Amino acid sequence: MSLIHLESVSKIYRVGDQEIRALDQINLRIEEGEFVAIIGPSGSGKSTLMHLLGCLDTPSSGRMVICGNELTRATQDQLAHVRNQEIGFVFQAFNLLAKLDVISNIELPLIYGGVPSAQRRERARKVAFEVGLGDRLSNRPPQLSGGQCQRVAIARALVNNPRIIFADEPTGNLDSATGLAILGMFDELNASGKTIVLVTHDPAIAARSRRVIEIRDGHIVREYKP
Amino acid sequence: MSLLFVFQIGIREIAAHKFRSVLSMLGIVLGVSSLIATMALTRGIEEGTRTFMQQLGGLELVTIAEKNPSSLKMDFANLSSGLTLRDAKVIRESASLISHVSPEILIRSLVSSFGSSGTRERRTIQGIYPDHFVIRIHQIGAGRFLSDLDVQRGSRCVVLGNTVATQLWPDVSIESIIGKTVLIGTSPFEVVGVLDFYQSEEQARVRRSGKTSMRWKWDPFRVKNEAVLIPFTTLFHEFRSGSSSSSDEKPDASKPNASTVPKKSDATPESNKRNDSIDSIKLDALIVRVRDLDYFHPALDQLRKLLDITHRGVDDFDFETREDWFDRVESSVRAARLSGGLISAISLVVGGIGIMNIMLASISERVREIGIRMAVGARPRDIFLQIIIEGMLISLIGAFLGIAASLGLIEILKLISPTENVPVLSWDGVLFSVVFALLAGLLSGIYPGLKAARLDPISALRYE
Repeated sequence: MSLIHLESVSKIYRVGDQEIRALDQINLRIEEGEFVAIIGPSGSGKSTLMHLLGCLDTPSSGRMVICGNELTRATQDQLAHVRNQEIGFVFQAFNLLAKLDVISNIELPLIYGGVPSAQRRERARKVAFEVGLGDRLSNRPPQLSGGQCQRVAIARALVNNPRIIFADEPTGNLDSATGLAILGMFDELNASGKTIVLVTHDPAIAARSRRVIEIRDGHIVREYKP
Repeated sequence: MSLLFVFQIGIREIAAHKFRSVLSMLGIVLGVSSLIATMALTRGIEEGTRTFMQQLGGLELVTIAEKNPSSLKMDFANLSSGLTLRDAKVIRESASLISHVSPEILIRSLVSSFGSSGTRERRTIQGIYPDHFVIRIHQIGAGRFLSDLDVQRGSRCVVLGNTVATQLWPDVSIESIIGKTVLIGTSPFEVVGVLDFYQSEEQARVRRSGKTSMRWKWDPFRVKNEAVLIPFTTLFHEFRSGSSSSSDEKPDASKPNASTVPKKSDATPESNKRNDSIDSIKLDALIVRVRDLDYFHPALDQLRKLLDITHRGVDDFDFETREDWFDRVESSVRAARLSGGLISAISLVVGGIGIMNIMLASISERVREIGIRMAVGARPRDIFLQIIIEGMLISLIGAFLGIAASLGLIEILKLISPTENVPVLSWDGVLFSVVFALLAGLLSGIYPGLKAARLDPISALRYE
């Protein structure tokens, strides 16, 4: 079975008595080791798809299996477990905890994964060195540049050794040079075997992936290899 | 997620908002300190009362008091001669459940020392039997108690309370007072014993620390320290049997005095008249001691039956037991504790509401943080636990501050409260208030915790 498997998945929001089909009968398979970009204008449903794939939400209908977990009607606890074990997130706004230093931010997923303290520090430090932040461990996010913050976020996404990395506009808050460096890191990660799902509205960034899925009005309208 | 880590997050969160946290703790601080202080106060009253009771004798004591007979028996109330020495003798001979019987008669008279510069004061003189020393829990400091022989012979000897002795002969050790002569009215008595000095632990503590009592107050030990005790028979023959003017009348005066035996039994033979006159004397107090507390009520029944006979069916007597007294004291202590506890409980509840308020403000400030934690794998219950622990930490710190405050409060109360009721810090009170404070923290964390745990991770992440 594929790493990500969606079968006629719909997501419907109700606003008042109006029904909004954010996703409509989506079928999608993503295999292990792929580098996929999901592209589309704002309001197209790409964020909703990303939230479903990232196990932050469950579909209104259809079948969803992620990393072998049947999540069609999952509880919050099940979703949290998959997020913790199989998925790493990188957000546009970094979403670091400003009160914690770099190393504590990186080890956050390990805490909820129940990893013992000493092992936690060890792994967080190792990942921090991998993303080039070995000298910044005790700084706090407000003291870091945007690029450094996104490295911290990537390190946090990697620390649990997940199978999938989701990146939601990871370069949106960065200047182009720093953005390129971050994208380079995703290339490297993909080369080392991680499955990467990148959400963007920018075709130029999508072009760095191996497979582009274009989404519009809740439907997949086009799929191509750049 | 390890509990230790949750505690770390909680402490960091509290430390990050010190002023806010202290404000929210305030209710708990007040509640805990007032709860502990109230419990210390009531404990102090309880202990003060208990030492007082112990000095007066325990639960085994029953005071037989006179009362007006019931209206049904008013018509033949004259048949009873009231509470007399005969009652005491009958009880001693026949009431098997009673171990000690102490009849007492009192006079007030001037007491002075013979050939000394000591005080000359009007005091209460008690005529007693040796059982008195057991019932009143006296300890002899020097010399001896009065004996049965003293009572039989009507000898002119006296046992003095410590205060009386030292006032009569200042600057002299109590041992050397033995054998000296005391004048009661104009009659000389030989001092055969001096009692121990009685004081409460608190008084002893004050005395040792060199401070003198700042003001006079009623002292349960004072009565015992000012005792002047002579044999029952001596007091009777010396001061009661004759007319009031002839206080120096000899004890062996054989002429019967009609005035002291107003309701003489017609069945008494003439030859017993002298004894009869003393037997018919009205007692000022009759106290008995029950042999075994397990048979307390049977003993009362036995007493009642005996006295019904000697009083010819007139119910002009009543029993005052310490039980009633204990019950009364206990119920008032309970009432004090309840009202104090209630006030403290209310302030703890208010404190809990304060914490809840702060927790609610805190989570709405941290929605995004909660979203991030959820995104990296925190389960709703992890978030809930974090909020609950934070609330409990705030209340726990508040409780410790409250304990510290209460220690100060108790010291202040010690300065202003009467010495026999000095507040006593009770550790179960401390424990109780900590538990109560934790409970308040726990309850106040539940609603904010649920609210935080039910946040939708997506909207929480988007929250600005």
